[in-house]
Amino acid sequence: MFRRQWLQLGIGGLIGGSFTELLRLRDLHAAELPSGKKPSSCILIWMDGGPTHLETFDLKPEAPSEIRGEFQPIETNVSGIRICEYMPKLAQIADKYAIVRSVCHNQGNHGAGNHYMMTGAPPRIPVGCGAFVSFHPSMGSVAAKERPAPHGLPGYFSMPSMSRSGGPNFLGAKYAPFVVSNDPNSKNFRVRDVELPGGINDLRFQSRRDLRQLTDRLPRFEDPATADPVSAVDQYYEQGYELITTPAAQKAFDIDSEPDALREAYGRNSFGQRALLARRLVEAGVPFVTINDGGWDHHSNLFDALRKRLPTWDQTVAALISDLDSRGLLETTMVIALGEFGRTPKISTLAGETKPGRDHWANAMSILFAGGGTPGGQVIGATDRLGHSAVQRVLSPENFVSTVYHKMGIDPDKVYYTPAGRPAHLVSDPSPISELM
Amino acid sequence: MTRFVLLPRQILLWLIAAFATLPSCQAWAIDPNDPPPPTTATATTNTAKTSTDSSTTSAGAKATKFELDIQPLLTSRGCNSGPCHGKQRGQNGFALSLLGFDAEMDFRAIVQEARGRRIFPNAPEQSLFVQKATGELPHGGGIRIEPDSAEYRLIVEWIRSGQQRVSATDPVLTRIAISPQPHSMAPSDQEQLMVTATYSDGSTRNVTNYCAFQSNEPAVLNVSGNGLMKAGQLPGEATVMARYMGHIATWSSAIPRPEAVSESVYEQFSQQNFIDKLVSQRWRELNLAPSAICSDEKFLRRAYLDIIGRLPTADEAKQFIQAADADKRERLVDSLLSRPEYADFWANKWADLLRPNPYRVGIKATRSLDGWLREAFQQNVPYDQFVRKLLTAKGSTWQNGAVTLFRDRREPDEIVSITSQLFMGVRLDCAKCHQHPFEVYGQADFYGLAAFFGRVGHKGVGLSPPISGGEEIVFVKSSGQVRHPLSGDVLPPRALKSEVKEIAAEDDPREALVDWLVAPENPYFALVAVNRIWADLFGIGLVDPVDDLRATNPPSNPALLQALADHFRQVGFDQKKLLKTMVLSQTYALQTRPNSTNYADNRNYSRYYRQRLRAEVLMDAVCDVTEVEHNFSGLAKGTRSMQLWTNRVDSEFLDAFGRPDANQDPPCERTKDSTVTQALHLMNSPALHEKITNENGRCNRLAKSDLDPSAIIDELYLATFSRFPTGDERSILLAEFAKPETNRKTVIEDVLWSLMNSPEFSYKD
Repeated sequence: MFRRQWLQLGIGGLIGGSFTELLRLRDLHAAELPSGKKPSSCILIWMDGGPTHLETFDLKPEAPSEIRGEFQPIETNVSGIRICEYMPKLAQIADKYAIVRSVCHNQGNHGAGNHYMMTGAPPRIPVGCGAFVSFHPSMGSVAAKERPAPHGLPGYFSMPSMSRSGGPNFLGAKYAPFVVSNDPNSKNFRVRDVELPGGINDLRFQSRRDLRQLTDRLPRFEDPATADPVSAVDQYYEQGYELITTPAAQKAFDIDSEPDALREAYGRNSFGQRALLARRLVEAGVPFVTINDGGWDHHSNLFDALRKRLPTWDQTVAALISDLDSRGLLETTMVIALGEFGRTPKISTLAGETKPGRDHWANAMSILFAGGGTPGGQVIGATDRLGHSAVQRVLSPENFVSTVYHKMGIDPDKVYYTPAGRPAHLVSDPSPISELM
Repeated sequence: MTRFVLLPRQILLWLIAAFATLPSCQAWAIDPNDPPPPTTATATTNTAKTSTDSSTTSAGAKATKFELDIQPLLTSRGCNSGPCHGKQRGQNGFALSLLGFDAEMDFRAIVQEARGRRIFPNAPEQSLFVQKATGELPHGGGIRIEPDSAEYRLIVEWIRSGQQRVSATDPVLTRIAISPQPHSMAPSDQEQLMVTATYSDGSTRNVTNYCAFQSNEPAVLNVSGNGLMKAGQLPGEATVMARYMGHIATWSSAIPRPEAVSESVYEQFSQQNFIDKLVSQRWRELNLAPSAICSDEKFLRRAYLDIIGRLPTADEAKQFIQAADADKRERLVDSLLSRPEYADFWANKWADLLRPNPYRVGIKATRSLDGWLREAFQQNVPYDQFVRKLLTAKGSTWQNGAVTLFRDRREPDEIVSITSQLFMGVRLDCAKCHQHPFEVYGQADFYGLAAFFGRVGHKGVGLSPPISGGEEIVFVKSSGQVRHPLSGDVLPPRALKSEVKEIAAEDDPREALVDWLVAPENPYFALVAVNRIWADLFGIGLVDPVDDLRATNPPSNPALLQALADHFRQVGFDQKKLLKTMVLSQTYALQTRPNSTNYADNRNYSRYYRQRLRAEVLMDAVCDVTEVEHNFSGLAKGTRSMQLWTNRVDSEFLDAFGRPDANQDPPCERTKDSTVTQALHLMNSPALHEKITNENGRCNRLAKSDLDPSAIIDELYLATFSRFPTGDERSILLAEFAKPETNRKTVIEDVLWSLMNSPEFSYKD
């Protein structure tokens, strides 16, 4: 029943929508992988703060109560795979995604953990907990560079903000994410400033552009080693011009053209509508979209907060996977959900708090990985009896990031050169997670 | 009056004196525990020394001791690291202190806890402790010590000989030092570092193989786990850190450009003050030639933007450019320092650091702090007094704005984080819960500092978000304690690595803290203050990030940082005098345009670094240039964005250009980056369009005036770029005016739009 409903919506969307042409162009645009498969795009659901693995995809019902927590696992449509009771919709489609339970690392604070998972490179000097750091390009920026989007669309979007280490680093401003901060769930949603102001027609805009070109005499320092911030401005103006002048870009933002039933299915909240907008962007040819979804740092009040939050999160993520599937896009679109690390197996109550939570824990975490040719219905790796550490098929952030790159048709073993001419390996260990390939 | 024990300053000076003169290298130590390196150089050669034991070099064979032998071994094998037994609750029930900072706890864990089952003295080899480490019994961490290795025998011997700990007569580790002395390197050079630990009895050990090493720029200078360094192919600077048992030593080096710069280049650089002298010393070491000196127009624009945060008006710009007097730059600086906008601009910067969320602490308290900041800068309160008034604030949140700090940060541990970061440049947050992994600070330091705030009392109406409108009084209680979170011991107030004399019951302990902070001997206070201001004026801090001073994050020019701090003290912490010194240095007046030697220099100020105008500055500039004020909702007409008292006032413009977001927790920092969103906003924002086309705005005024096109073009250039147009620019634009079908107002609007969308407008060049 669930599936059929999706199918209907999907077909409606394809026939009635304005996207068939875009799809065709997108196909032309995408080169084939050596395997003959099309390279995938990626929707990264970044659960900022570090989601608990023990309340989502790696429950430990046999563990003592101070570890087990308050939630129970439920069966999914794949026998042997059980996930949290507050994610019933994802439980119905477990055959569509894989769960990785054994990625771990050694960066226990937000800034460093975010950097490691977003870039595949550990921060190279000690990082303070709240710090914004960037030592290496993020996956999204690499995707934007290696897989440019058509129609003047930026290759990398981030909504509603950029994540801490989600920037381009030495790849340069051109590959920074285009941030859509406006809420697509609000009435009259529009992406700010991509339309010309009233009274300025195309002709006058064009003449202003020409005039600006003539009057802009500030010298640019061409050598990238100078790190001239002004050359970044030029790239932003170029991107801005393209966005303004390309109807395809405007169409991709037109979330109001989606049928109401589908918008409801995603969830009528900011997160849900961002996921739907992400799908539209991917459909238009954008290779990488990050939904920066904050608030998973549950040091306290873990259970009540998740009782409230998980069901809507579940609805959105399940809707996104199913919608992509029904449109035939799941095969070429990854949907990945993760945060910077997992959380401590032992429940604790911080001083000054009344309700318990869990703290940062990089020795284990769970990652949901769907689409892009990923065999669904499987669990990769395992943590020990108490969820302390990954013990089977222990994997690194490098393995995870390499997997994403492989599926996008980007060689993780590639060597970039920084503006100063120094070599930088894209990923130091370029081996992907074979079970996901 | 409180007195305190001082030691760090002479050490710091010693280090700077010892190393700042060496070519292309510096040793930087803000670690007040680090005494000077041994004057009798540790015997060392450049040949790699890779002995695997920690042989005692002076004291003969002694009994194996826990603190001296076993803990370092565990640390070097990662047993007590964050991901393993060092995490807060240990691993599988076996918990060690992070990186071995707590010997008492570690000894208890190994020898006594778990009913003593980890140690089996009668057959040491059978001890759980040994068999886990060797992997003879299943061990999640794998094999950490090879059976029958030297380390294995060390542990077995320690167990057999009765698990001895150090006694009062045993030597304690006093410091570690890296040899050889720091020096510059050539591309592809290799060098083996040796780390020597010195103990209180004067004995030394080679502990190289028990250290953790890390480089902050591995591509410039890589370091392996055993201390072997390899320089990369390209010029650059890097610092290598070695850590051993809570002690840290650093080794800074540079790989200079291989081609020397002619001495005459440096002689031509006309030094105005000590800044120029110290900056050019670094250029000599690195073979960098400075860029040329900038024009009066550039200087004018920089000085306005850096001192008062606004652009010169067209008239002001014209006057300065046309003035012929030789000392016009100095006179300009003096006049800017006395302008009323100065206070708003600097208060706005400090608001970034101190401004609370008004929905949490209340609107009235937030406004009161805002007013306090503006008044402080209006009166040019010396920085030491500014900090004293802030940190010892008492009274009503409605009467004394500084008190709002204690309404916002109510507990001693909350105020410590901000105090240490802002006024010492030390990020102590890690040390709240555990030993700082890359620093010398631990919980005793954190809570010792917190104890200065243990007697801060509150009465009146506390927080009641989302309105929190009540008045609250902060006072000094007669009692109040801060306890160590683990031991539960009451901690007396203790400054970082320094003692303060006992504080009498009638004294405010916070005064003692400020006495220590502002004293000439304090190693942090002036450094972090001058570094922050330097970063604003010169584009990047000598230490970057500005409030993260530590041995592992050394300044790019330690001698300059220290000299600036000394100068700030000498002028009585008068910020205006400090600014004047910086702005009138020749270094400040360098062009941004690089030459063939310094295009890759991003830390040594051999060229001026471009910066985007901050959100409020740019928005006010837009209003000035268009001659249309912005109407912020709920605020008096004519309010400039520099005068906003909270970031909660709606403004798409300020958000797009990266003002801090007070809604986020933790609050987001201000961002300096450019984005495509900013480009789009300047191009298309309806609000900006309205300002350009407003009938009371500059464009319409000029259109209706009887000025000829050439005069109009002059005014537009002077107002936006602070300069006259070049002949070429003038003729291009005159041609626009001359086009037959054009409307004069439309042309003016389009020209202004073009100028405002040029980076020459939105950047300090």
